[in-house]
Amino acid sequence: MEHCEVLSKKVIEFKPPVYEQRYYFVKNLVNQHGHKKIADLGFGDATLLWMLKYHRCVQYLVGVDIAAKPFEWGGGRLSPGVGSYIIPRELDLTITLYRGSAVQKDSRLCGFDLITCIELIEHLDSEDLAKFPEVVFGYFSPGMVVISTPNSEFNPLFPASTFRDPDHRFEWNRKQFQMWALDVAKLYHYSVEFSGVGDPPAGAEHVGYCTQIGVFQKNSTKPTELSISEPEEHVYEVVYTTSYPSLQQSKYFRFTLSIEAVKAIDLMKSRFLRGPRRKEGDRVVPLGSCTPQHGLTEAQRAEIEQSPKPYSVGEKFYVPLERLLAYPKVNRLVAGSTEKLRTVLAEGLRLNGDQTAVQVELVDYHTQRLFDEHLVSPALES
Amino acid sequence: VQAASLKERNHFGGIFRDHVVDTRQYLDHVRQSTAGTQGRPVKLFANHFRVTSRPQQITYKYNIDYMPDIEDRQVRSELLLQHKAIIRKCYIFDGTSLLLPHKLRSPKMELVSLLRKQVVKVTIEFTSELMPTSPDCLRYYNILFRRILKMMELEQVGRNYYNNLISHLMCSICRLVIWPGYVTSILEYETSITLCADVNHKLFRMQTAYDLISDIRDGFPTKQELQEQVSKRLVGSVVSTMYNNKTYRVDAINWEETPRTTFKTSDGAEITFVEYYKTQRYDQVVTELNQPLLISKGKWQKSKQDTPHEPILLVPQLCNLTGLTDELRKNYRVMRDLALHMRLDPEKRQHELRKLMNTIQTNKEIQRELQLWDLKFDGSLLSFSGRILKEVRIFQGRRVFDSHPQFADWTKETRSGPLLNVKSLDHWLILYPTGYYRAASSFLQSLRRVTPTMGIAMKEAKMLQVSHSVQSYTTTLENHASSKTQMVVCVLSSEKKELYDSIKQYLCVSCPIPSQCVIARTLDKPQTLLTIATNIAQQMNCKMGGALWKVETGLQNAMFIGIDCFHDTVNQQKSIAGFVSSINQELTQWFSQCIFQKSGQELVNGLKACLEAALKLWCKHNLFLPQAIIVYRDGVGDGQLQALLDYEVPQIESSLKSVVKLTFIVVKKRINTRFFVESEGRLRNPLPGTVIDVEVTKRQWYDFFIVSQSVKDGTVTPTHYNVIHDTVRFTPDRIQHLTYRLCHMYYNLAGVIRVPAPCHYAHKLAYLVGQSIHQEPHHSLASRLFYL
Repeated sequence: MEHCEVLSKKVIEFKPPVYEQRYYFVKNLVNQHGHKKIADLGFGDATLLWMLKYHRCVQYLVGVDIAAKPFEWGGGRLSPGVGSYIIPRELDLTITLYRGSAVQKDSRLCGFDLITCIELIEHLDSEDLAKFPEVVFGYFSPGMVVISTPNSEFNPLFPASTFRDPDHRFEWNRKQFQMWALDVAKLYHYSVEFSGVGDPPAGAEHVGYCTQIGVFQKNSTKPTELSISEPEEHVYEVVYTTSYPSLQQSKYFRFTLSIEAVKAIDLMKSRFLRGPRRKEGDRVVPLGSCTPQHGLTEAQRAEIEQSPKPYSVGEKFYVPLERLLAYPKVNRLVAGSTEKLRTVLAEGLRLNGDQTAVQVELVDYHTQRLFDEHLVSPALES
Repeated sequence: VQAASLKERNHFGGIFRDHVVDTRQYLDHVRQSTAGTQGRPVKLFANHFRVTSRPQQITYKYNIDYMPDIEDRQVRSELLLQHKAIIRKCYIFDGTSLLLPHKLRSPKMELVSLLRKQVVKVTIEFTSELMPTSPDCLRYYNILFRRILKMMELEQVGRNYYNNLISHLMCSICRLVIWPGYVTSILEYETSITLCADVNHKLFRMQTAYDLISDIRDGFPTKQELQEQVSKRLVGSVVSTMYNNKTYRVDAINWEETPRTTFKTSDGAEITFVEYYKTQRYDQVVTELNQPLLISKGKWQKSKQDTPHEPILLVPQLCNLTGLTDELRKNYRVMRDLALHMRLDPEKRQHELRKLMNTIQTNKEIQRELQLWDLKFDGSLLSFSGRILKEVRIFQGRRVFDSHPQFADWTKETRSGPLLNVKSLDHWLILYPTGYYRAASSFLQSLRRVTPTMGIAMKEAKMLQVSHSVQSYTTTLENHASSKTQMVVCVLSSEKKELYDSIKQYLCVSCPIPSQCVIARTLDKPQTLLTIATNIAQQMNCKMGGALWKVETGLQNAMFIGIDCFHDTVNQQKSIAGFVSSINQELTQWFSQCIFQKSGQELVNGLKACLEAALKLWCKHNLFLPQAIIVYRDGVGDGQLQALLDYEVPQIESSLKSVVKLTFIVVKKRINTRFFVESEGRLRNPLPGTVIDVEVTKRQWYDFFIVSQSVKDGTVTPTHYNVIHDTVRFTPDRIQHLTYRLCHMYYNLAGVIRVPAPCHYAHKLAYLVGQSIHQEPHHSLASRLFYL
């Protein structure tokens, strides 16, 4: 109990907690820049990586930690679950965790868009700290580097006057950090901006943020092709790797497209059965709209309305591919190509004779309910 | 999150609690053996793998405490593992306690862990030494195994299953995804510890809760209709949020709020659901701003029903539906297709199990983990000898026949002659909705054709036309039903639950007359109409107090009781226990009572009153008290065995005069153990009447399995019987025969069922009362099978 009380006195409460603020700081950067390849040096409990895996733009996520253990990462929250298979991502995503140090060169870390070093440098001894810029900025040379570290000016606000963590080798004030950062930036052709998270309490604004952050942006806009000349160096040990299903992979694409098509067909069918319709030759055509009233904008609905209408012949219901293509989700998946839609749907669904429409049963378990509710049968009998 | 983590911690609790209850110690007469000898021996296989090696040394159990307390199990584990140097590689952690193969330096260690740079004090305190044979050890092995299984499932999903998934989806099951997995348990049985493994499927629907809501909206309902229909179809269902792979049960719909509503995050900031999902966490885009929110009160648990917890709000668009709807269940084609994929026949099941075993034996990581504990499994299915009981003779009037040995069925035989005890239909009504006169009259004609053979004298029914409304049915009944009316047949135009419920309510409570509802669609097909008429005539005969056939139990002056429960966890209404007792020696008449309990409560409290009424009626019929009472108790959850012994059995005994003997048998249908026989090089289902009372039964129990029914496809599920109290002193052979015979006495099927008839009657009764009438049925119906 005693211990607890001491703890609560010690801590200035941040809302959200500072560690979370640091992660959101990174997430915001990723949202702004749409980074594709991101590495987190010193990933710890992998919380940041886990938060980053949800970004659509991210395709490669790498974590490096000197204490990464092989077995514990089997599964865990970085691995794709059922949901990732059922609703696949748009773009591929590979996550790899390495055991290794931020001051060791490994060519697999070259060519990244963003490398984050959250609360990492203060754990490096002077020798490693000296090597660090050459490895991260010089060798890995990513488009952007984010480095966060405690701001020692904030420390007097904490009851204990020592370092925040027994493993910290140093804690810099703003000037010390900025000088170091500007030197590094200059040497490796980066520009740096300073920021931070963890606002100081009222009245103590002069101490600055609890955590100071440097965002380094590489000056040359073109990706350097330096790494080609360097030999491949694989020093890090892979402790975990996984890849996510995505729409870039054919089977998941086919799966998702089929689902979207079937959803659209089912909705059309239930509107068709509920609404008035007329016999034209051997076809029964809808008199009203077969477009769902919800989930679409006016413009999208109008677009659908203009496409060829679905119809039924006997017990079968036909939906022209052109009609399906007017549905925004379907359209986006096949990028407007009827041919693509036809090829995929032909694998699992039946198409009509000239391959221009999908043929399904007029009454199946989705529409059976409508019959039960007496919405339809009188209309059909007449 | 809290509820989930706690639940996980207690996952195996129930089974383990039951497995340490020694009920056999009080049963002198089976001290030597609980195995029978009669019947034809047959070589069987079970879905069990023997554990061939496990730690033979003492292991050490430590309690782990956190200061401040940490709820999340994953975090607890991570904090503890910061001290791997002390714990070392080999450990099993269940969230609160740690099992180690070695002793730590000191019995109590206070360690400091860091949780995001904050200090958490972790105390490791020695609690006990576990002998290698201790049941607690097994609990830890199960935890270890679950960890392994999780690893493996993910791997398998990635490797094998996804291809099948697409083919599943593309057939007529459209929009359903079957997700395969395994369920396993390591437990101790008669002579060995085994790993029981079975294939276990999950069903996901490729439809979000929002899709369902818009589908309903699309029919232009009024606001009230919309809310009613959405509630009806969503409340009680389980949804899955794909972005984080969690499942929630929907408890209510919040129509006042939308995804644009703000809520307070844990750090006190106000944020809308749209922003939260987009920027804060999952990069999920909520496009539909005009949708209600789903409310989930968290996982429903019996023990936690009174503790309040913050409800969780969910955005329908991000919630996928899971499981089957009632509509799907009723759909023959869908169910057939699903069965094709999910109901594995013995051969396919075996194949899957071998695949599992193979992965366990060959995967390096799994082997490394198992070797740490010296755990090894036999690679082949456990095999032993079972017995097939003699066929049971069916007596129907002067006719005697055997059930078909392969299919456990006597439909043909029972149709070709008079029933055991017929009731004539003199005064009865048929209600049919407008437009269904033809269906009703062709039904009546068919009844006229089939009843003479059965020996049923049938007079003309009064045909009454009604409109489709509930009101119309009840007013017509009010006007036409009298005390003379023996039977009411209601033709329904659709399977509308409200209509069915109201009719049943009216005819079971307000105006007690046996009734029979028929969906018009089932009368549509001329080719099956005669069969249907026969079935309905039999059913009506039973509902009026007649009897179809009987079997010889070989037991005189015994009263049989079946008990089962219905839990309405969705509407948090009361639970209902059905209590069905025999009235006559032939076991053709049954007395049905119900007990209402608080929701989720399993143990029957009003037993005493029921039993006294049952005894009174038996006495009235037979003029003396029964010598023995045999109770078949179904609907018992895991972990309640001790409670049955402590409360239920004494409650029953206390109302019995000491001369009346009592046998109390716990019936379990939901079990993972399966049996196979080999013939012509393939594994098949065992024949009906196969009894198993060795190897996979328990040393501390007087228990056995019976495979009583026959299934067309898939693997048959045996029923487990556990005799926990037996002053009648049945030999294993006698109780097994008796139990099997009782499975032949269910009057809604001319075949053998999974449980003794009184259990199934109790189930049907509890279900009808719980689902439809929600109150006690009128006592005048109690001695008839009105719920059949």
